[in-house]
Amino acid sequence: MRTDRTLHRYFCILVCSLLILSLSIAALADSFEQLRKDSANIKTIKARFVQKKFMKILAKPLISEGRFYYIAPDAFRWEYLKPLRSVVIAYKGDTRRYIFSGGKMIEDKSGGAQAMKIVLGEVTGWMSGKFDQNPSFTATLKEGTNTQITLIPVGKSMSGMIEKIEITVSKKAAAVKSVKIIENANAFTQIDFTDVETNKVISSAVFQDVQ
Amino acid sequence: MKCIHLFIAIVFLASCQTMPVINPPMFPAVQKNLTCPSPFLKEKYQLIHAIEINTAGNAQGAIIGITVADPSTRFVSCAIMTAEGMVLLEAETDAEKLSVHRALPPFDSGDFAKNMIDDIKLIYFPPQGLMQKKGNLPDGSTACRWQEENGDFIDVIASKPESTEIKKYSAGGSLKRHIKLTQTEENAYSSIELRGSEIINYTLLMTLIEAQPVKSALPGKEKLKVKNNEKSYRR
Repeated sequence: MRTDRTLHRYFCILVCSLLILSLSIAALADSFEQLRKDSANIKTIKARFVQKKFMKILAKPLISEGRFYYIAPDAFRWEYLKPLRSVVIAYKGDTRRYIFSGGKMIEDKSGGAQAMKIVLGEVTGWMSGKFDQNPSFTATLKEGTNTQITLIPVGKSMSGMIEKIEITVSKKAAAVKSVKIIENANAFTQIDFTDVETNKVISSAVFQDVQ
Repeated sequence: MKCIHLFIAIVFLASCQTMPVINPPMFPAVQKNLTCPSPFLKEKYQLIHAIEINTAGNAQGAIIGITVADPSTRFVSCAIMTAEGMVLLEAETDAEKLSVHRALPPFDSGDFAKNMIDDIKLIYFPPQGLMQKKGNLPDGSTACRWQEENGDFIDVIASKPESTEIKKYSAGGSLKRHIKLTQTEENAYSSIELRGSEIINYTLLMTLIEAQPVKSALPGKEKLKVKNNEKSYRR
């Protein structure tokens, strides 16, 4: 059970990181070096998102909706509002996950601390725009009508979980078009953002109150 | 210490609930016309539920369950995933073969996938065994009893107009599964409560997110190109 929950947390934080990463690169860059500079200007992010889960078993994608908040360098709240409520909150070096069950939000108390450290190390790197300096992923940046960043896991840590991550940034709108997390040939997750606000004040209570 | 013994005794007795008597109607004509409750799927369906997991009375978490079930072939394709979209288990079965396409720990252990699909079949498909009894329980509910090939008994009970219960007993008569279906006008599977009596008793509370008939070929019947964690069992 512990292994499962560790993987689960790993996945949650990874996806959270992608949200932050993808919004950070909305500042548009044509190189990883520029990306790092642009990311440094993002102090806070607030947004809503719609997640579409595509699987062979699903006749149509399963749609989830949520919102998330971020304060640089490492505080975030990533919350699903429907169809199933869940929240991942990282604040002051502590990361917790809560799920709605039994009429209330309950904490997922398991998870390997060591795995969390590794993941958070990766997250910090991404948030700094250091996509090409993470040994766990190979990153490529492709220019075209849109800018596409592709992250491919290198080691076995994400074996069976994630095959590839594609982040597409619209050059015209200078905003992220999509984040696509490809699990395997039959399943992928696409996340689209709306109501994105950057560098506006976010109360610290957002990272302390679960409800 | 006495309290602990009492608690253990209660748990033991509860887990050993035995089959109730089904009394046939007094008049043969009434028995002939008695219709067994049948809350089961009539066509291929895809159902998505939010599932709350409880063990020993404590909420353990919640997951999303996806099922595609075809009552005509007893084919089941199913997946469970986290709220964040991480797929924990993906499996399918027809009448003969069970294939597990993805299973992350602890869902890769033992017969987890097989037991889960057996539970899904118990919920959505009519019993396949021989009908043993048809009548009424002491509380007046209409009940029908089947005996499966492996000796298990399955009772289907119309307890209230909007509610149906399915109970599975071992060949020895001890309760193994207790399912309560609460239907709405829209769907018979709006709310499902499944109580499992195993080494650790558990309860699943399933709330319908969406349901739709599957008109095309079942998605799960197509050959899946799965690279990781693929296992196959012959039942």
